[in-house]
Amino acid sequence: MRCASGIEARQVDELAINIDPIQAGGRLTGDAMKAVIAYGDGYSVCDNCRKPNRLDYINKPPIAEFHKDVAGWLNMDAVRTVPGARRGFQAVAHTFIRKGDPVLLTSLSHYTEFLAIEGAEGIACEIPADDHHIITPDAAAVKIEEVKKQSGRAPVLAFIDHVDYQYGNMHDVKGIAKVCHQYDIPVLYNGAYTVGIMPVNGKDLGVDFVIGSGHKSMASPAPSGILATTTEYAAEVFRTTAITGDVTHRKFGIKEPEMMGCTLMGVTLIGMMASFPHVKERVKHFDRELENNRIVVDGLLAVERTKILSEMPRKHTLTRADTIGSFDRVAETHKKRGFYFSSALEEKGVTGVIPGATKVWKFNTYGMTQKQARYLADTFGEIAQENGLTASK
Amino acid sequence: MTFQALFTLTDLRVILRETTPRHELDEKQREQAQRLLDNLERQVSSLKQEMLK
Repeated sequence: MRCASGIEARQVDELAINIDPIQAGGRLTGDAMKAVIAYGDGYSVCDNCRKPNRLDYINKPPIAEFHKDVAGWLNMDAVRTVPGARRGFQAVAHTFIRKGDPVLLTSLSHYTEFLAIEGAEGIACEIPADDHHIITPDAAAVKIEEVKKQSGRAPVLAFIDHVDYQYGNMHDVKGIAKVCHQYDIPVLYNGAYTVGIMPVNGKDLGVDFVIGSGHKSMASPAPSGILATTTEYAAEVFRTTAITGDVTHRKFGIKEPEMMGCTLMGVTLIGMMASFPHVKERVKHFDRELENNRIVVDGLLAVERTKILSEMPRKHTLTRADTIGSFDRVAETHKKRGFYFSSALEEKGVTGVIPGATKVWKFNTYGMTQKQARYLADTFGEIAQENGLTASK
Repeated sequence: MTFQALFTLTDLRVILRETTPRHELDEKQREQAQRLLDNLERQVSSLKQEMLK
């Protein structure tokens, strides 16, 4: 079935359990799907835009209220919506980094954090992860001292991922922020895998910026996200325009250069808003998500010589598995080679594993029901047994 | 009424997602699906009356 010429209707999540590591937290709620239907037209949220003309001042639909609610929910002072977490990184980077400035991030940082630093002509300085793939406050302190010794000054900004995209490991942001602040380094909390998934309290963490991804973790359409900050830093990153045209002498009111004026002006924002009440509720039940993850991880570990490379016990549903000793051994002689694994999963109604991947791969159990978690765990065991591997019950 | 019908279909879509891949509905889900399908029939019937009068 097609939605339009050449565009198949997407039914991935209706037909299969989707364990794609980046898609699980961004699946829309029913309310977001309805809002998307009603607000699909271009500038759909701008019907009632009145002076001062800026997205976050619109009251109908209640966009202004949404901004206040998100700030309160994250325990920060000011929020703007952005087209993806990456655009939040970019706004902060462009505000605080000057050419040649050292900037702290980690050996597990997402590539968009590097690009944000590159765009501002800063120098990327990675805090190395330890042997368990964890970034520690001690390692942050060592790195800052190293940077100071090499460049004669401390980094101007630190990007710290609470949960990294590679292992889904949780890092001590609070401890790292404390270290950074001893050197007057503002801290950007990358909550792409946490904001909308589990409770996040910016002030308690002691961070200066909280960035979340709507399409990754807030059940929202792409590209969407939020950038939250404190009153102190809001004055800088959300500064208003000062430019004037030399011919027309035009000025542009309260538009914010880092936001390029208004940001999410239609379906992305309304999707975030529609999902928000559900998102606020679901973060309170993250323990259920971890329980479902445990069921799936146990199912995988029941397959001989399978390992979990992420920290154990799991603190997040994004998980990295090593099946070199199990499913990959089968691939060596299987007529479909490595593709047998994703193919077998698809046949059993499971999708989201990269076709051909049998060595090291990631999955995310977020949002599934317990029944689906049990089904998935059993499915790994069945595929193992069908291919001559041992899977204990 | 168009939106009501679309929203009802969306609620059915959510049930499909929650029960994938087997779509074996438990008693509560069956009751919910039945109610939604009944509503949908009424909504489509109203649409027929309104649009084709």
